[in-house]
Amino acid sequence: MPSKPHSKDLSDLFSEVTKLRKNSPLKSLQKYMDADPTIVSLGAGLPHPDTFPFVSIGSTVAEAGVSVTDSSVAAKDISVSSKQPTAKIEGLERFLQYGNGRGVPSYTRFVQEHTERVHSPLYEDWDVVVSAGNTDAFTKAIALFYQSGDTLIVDEWTYPAAIETVRPMGIRLAPVKMDSEGMVPSNLDHLCTTWDSPETAPRLVYMVPTAQNPTGATMSLARRHDIYAVAQKHNLVIIEDDPYYYLQLGSYKPLAEVNDPEDRYKDLPGIKSLAPSLLSIDIDGRVIRLDSFSKVLAPGLRCGWITAPKYITDKIQFHNETSIQQPAGFSQAIVSKLMNETWGHAGWEKHLVQTQRQYAERRDMFVDICQSYLKGKVEFTIPTAGMFLWFRVLLNETASKRKGVMGEIFESMLNSHVLLVPGYMFSPLGQTEEVLDKPYMRAAFSYAAESSFEIAISRLAQALEPFTC
Amino acid sequence: MAPNMTTSTGCAGNTGAVLPPPKDLSDIFVPAMRIHKKSAFKSVMGDPTSTMINMAGGVPHPNTFPILQLQAKVVSPTSRQDKALLPSTANLVLDKSQKNRSTESLDELLQYGAGSGVDSYCDFLKKYTQIVHNPRYADWGVIASCGNTDAIGKAVSLFCEAGDSLLVEKWTFPGALSSLVAAKVQPLAVEMDGEGMDPESLDNICSRWGGPKPLRAMYLVPTGQNPTGATMSLERRQKIYAVACKHNLAIIEDDPYYFLQFAPFSVSRSLENAVNAVGLLGVDSDEQQQVDPLVPSLLSLDTEGRVIRLDSFSKILAPNLRCGWITAPSYILDKLQILNESTILQPSGLAQGLISKLLNDTWGLEGWNQHLRNLRATYTFRRNVFVRMVDLHVAGLVDYVLPSAGMFLWMKINLGPDAAEAMPRLLETMKKCGVMMAPGAPFCSSGSNSSSSDCYLRAAFALVDVAMFEPALKRLAQAIVAIRETADYPSAVQNTHTCTVPNAMQEGLLSPAPGKMTISS
Repeated sequence: MPSKPHSKDLSDLFSEVTKLRKNSPLKSLQKYMDADPTIVSLGAGLPHPDTFPFVSIGSTVAEAGVSVTDSSVAAKDISVSSKQPTAKIEGLERFLQYGNGRGVPSYTRFVQEHTERVHSPLYEDWDVVVSAGNTDAFTKAIALFYQSGDTLIVDEWTYPAAIETVRPMGIRLAPVKMDSEGMVPSNLDHLCTTWDSPETAPRLVYMVPTAQNPTGATMSLARRHDIYAVAQKHNLVIIEDDPYYYLQLGSYKPLAEVNDPEDRYKDLPGIKSLAPSLLSIDIDGRVIRLDSFSKVLAPGLRCGWITAPKYITDKIQFHNETSIQQPAGFSQAIVSKLMNETWGHAGWEKHLVQTQRQYAERRDMFVDICQSYLKGKVEFTIPTAGMFLWFRVLLNETASKRKGVMGEIFESMLNSHVLLVPGYMFSPLGQTEEVLDKPYMRAAFSYAAESSFEIAISRLAQALEPFTC
Repeated sequence: MAPNMTTSTGCAGNTGAVLPPPKDLSDIFVPAMRIHKKSAFKSVMGDPTSTMINMAGGVPHPNTFPILQLQAKVVSPTSRQDKALLPSTANLVLDKSQKNRSTESLDELLQYGAGSGVDSYCDFLKKYTQIVHNPRYADWGVIASCGNTDAIGKAVSLFCEAGDSLLVEKWTFPGALSSLVAAKVQPLAVEMDGEGMDPESLDNICSRWGGPKPLRAMYLVPTGQNPTGATMSLERRQKIYAVACKHNLAIIEDDPYYFLQFAPFSVSRSLENAVNAVGLLGVDSDEQQQVDPLVPSLLSLDTEGRVIRLDSFSKILAPNLRCGWITAPSYILDKLQILNESTILQPSGLAQGLISKLLNDTWGLEGWNQHLRNLRATYTFRRNVFVRMVDLHVAGLVDYVLPSAGMFLWMKINLGPDAAEAMPRLLETMKKCGVMMAPGAPFCSSGSNSSSSDCYLRAAFALVDVAMFEPALKRLAQAIVAIRETADYPSAVQNTHTCTVPNAMQEGLLSPAPGKMTISS
């Protein structure tokens, strides 16, 4: 097997602060102790694990691939106990003690193995580091390269927390127009080519290439290649924020055309047939990929991981060590136990297929209802992944000429007791007059009960009635 | 409950009088924080009524969460008298969809939530903070943090931006110093004595400050300080608070060791037995802890709402829970909540839920207090043995102040006129003798210790087996003696596992001839 190339060195793009980040001098003492166990170290300010009052932590988890909606769920009890490491998992006290900013070894080992299986990075020196979810990961990725006054390239509609994170950092946002697949490569190229000053040229582009928030757009493989080529041309670092990556659902089919639901959903991608990520085509090592368990296990775990060249993940590790340290040990323990022992990689895939099934059913039902009730009132691209539908309201002639009309529409929706998110909330340009009247809104089909879809959409249709054709 | 016990709204003090609102410190916020607004997006999410069908929240449905129940087995805190009984444990359970007595359902704990943290977790901590600190102003609250390192960065960012200076203790927590470097905030070192930050030095620095932007905040660890182990007396805290008021400073009170305040130090008659006692919790019967009141916190003296208090479960439950809490005026907590929502969102719902269940139901307040008393006893015992060993083996070679809280003992060592040169040799010799401690340099907030004749070591006595204290301190003594008594001690010393100095030298009968010193294994 030919050896993989080394990543390109992008460290000259690091911010001043990132260049200064280094290993904690106190944590560096650890390597001397590891080398010589007869050394008595009174160096580390760690409490003794005998003072941790947790003897064990356990969970009842669904068997891999089982639907939790069934009245009786096949389940398994798992536990992690203090001073009882297994072949694969540390003892609980290890999950509860101070560590380093990279993560507890069994957790990071699993996500590393998984990343290799799914993405097979093309360069040799990649590594993983923990995050407390993708919002945390995003702030770490930005901090690697950015200082006040810099510009970050984003989609023309983007994740609100990202907008709110960068504003107080004094970072400006440069939006790039999208189409139904997401960011348009020629627009990105144009933005970078025509940037007026090389000194202030943006170095980083942020995108959510699968089931984009808010538009629900998913980039095809060809699109990903084109975007990547533009990034190479302008030496951009790409932040690939991919929390919906595993929620790839295949194509929509109207329920009326489905004879056999089991047959209908037999081709869900699982892990093996997922659309390739930007990481998987990243020959240079310019993609910083953000993965999260939030949408595929649960958001309250607050854990995920970041994949990038090791000289970059090291910097993120040091940043973790001066902020969050690591995700909660309990979360890492449950995830590690579940993934390494209970489900394994095969079980994890079964779970993902089951999750894809649940979202695909929701998507299909929701799109059916939208096509029925909202015909002529909105247009939208049917999503092939994720949880969002992005409506463009088809305003009638009088409405489209009226300033503040979208405000009226949202008022009307609230009065009709249906809640969607106004498009302006996703605008990197803030709430200018121009943005406020862009006729977009985002619906999520992930949370409301499926039985309420029809009521919700009929209320929406009613609310839109006076404003549409 | 006594009628003058305050409610959790905190608006009635012990006298029953209504408490004043806090001073508004927003004029010392950095400009970016003044315009920092609550998320418009989250306002839309708000609190959907039952008639509102929520197609807005991009949140997963709980029937996609494969975690159906969470359990934990915990130690039941028992008092010394009950130690004769076998240690017992208790089980706690968090059910998926039902509320778990005081604590939310697991579905709710596993779902996205607000940046302030899980309600039942914060409710307990607010009640507990009321009991312990009894804040003297109205409109205060608590929010969840994922530990004090993160909390420090966020609290500092309210008052300091790039180019600003933050008043800090001369020796301080390296995590805080790294955070300041990253924020391009300059640490401004204030002198310390055996009790911690010196109020006169603080006052002088502030009075004479001529920098382009005003000083707005100070950061300190007033109890069991890291690294010096110093604990401020009540009087010292009052003086520091007065200086902060005089110069309109916010006070970031980082207090992770607060509950590890010791019983008074005494050398037990049966210390040797205590040293050989089996297990960590072998508290000598003569050290039976009295219910000594804790030194009041700065928060408890805070009449103006200047203190942003950082509490953590790291040293009182476990470090990697990554859970703590911040107490401050509510309008300040609102800003911190916004910061949470654009970074961590909130700490792990599993961790908050388990802690909430433990403190609210499984242990309750009584169990929690007993657990803290046990910790105090454990740390008191360790401190006692450690200090005894320091006195026996290193006395005369080092200066130290007796710590009354925490886990650190800070030693000052005179190694001759050129400490910068001697210190690395000391550390190397110590390693070869088989002992390590943290050198002072990483804790120095003024970048370099300008007093060139003083070397510092921080010893932590929380982790290592108590039986190893004596060997460790003997080895330290050997290393110090070796450095001191041989001016040109060869730097290339045979690396062995034990450092034994020839007996004649130990007995003071011989001083080694320079160049002829050998270390035998």
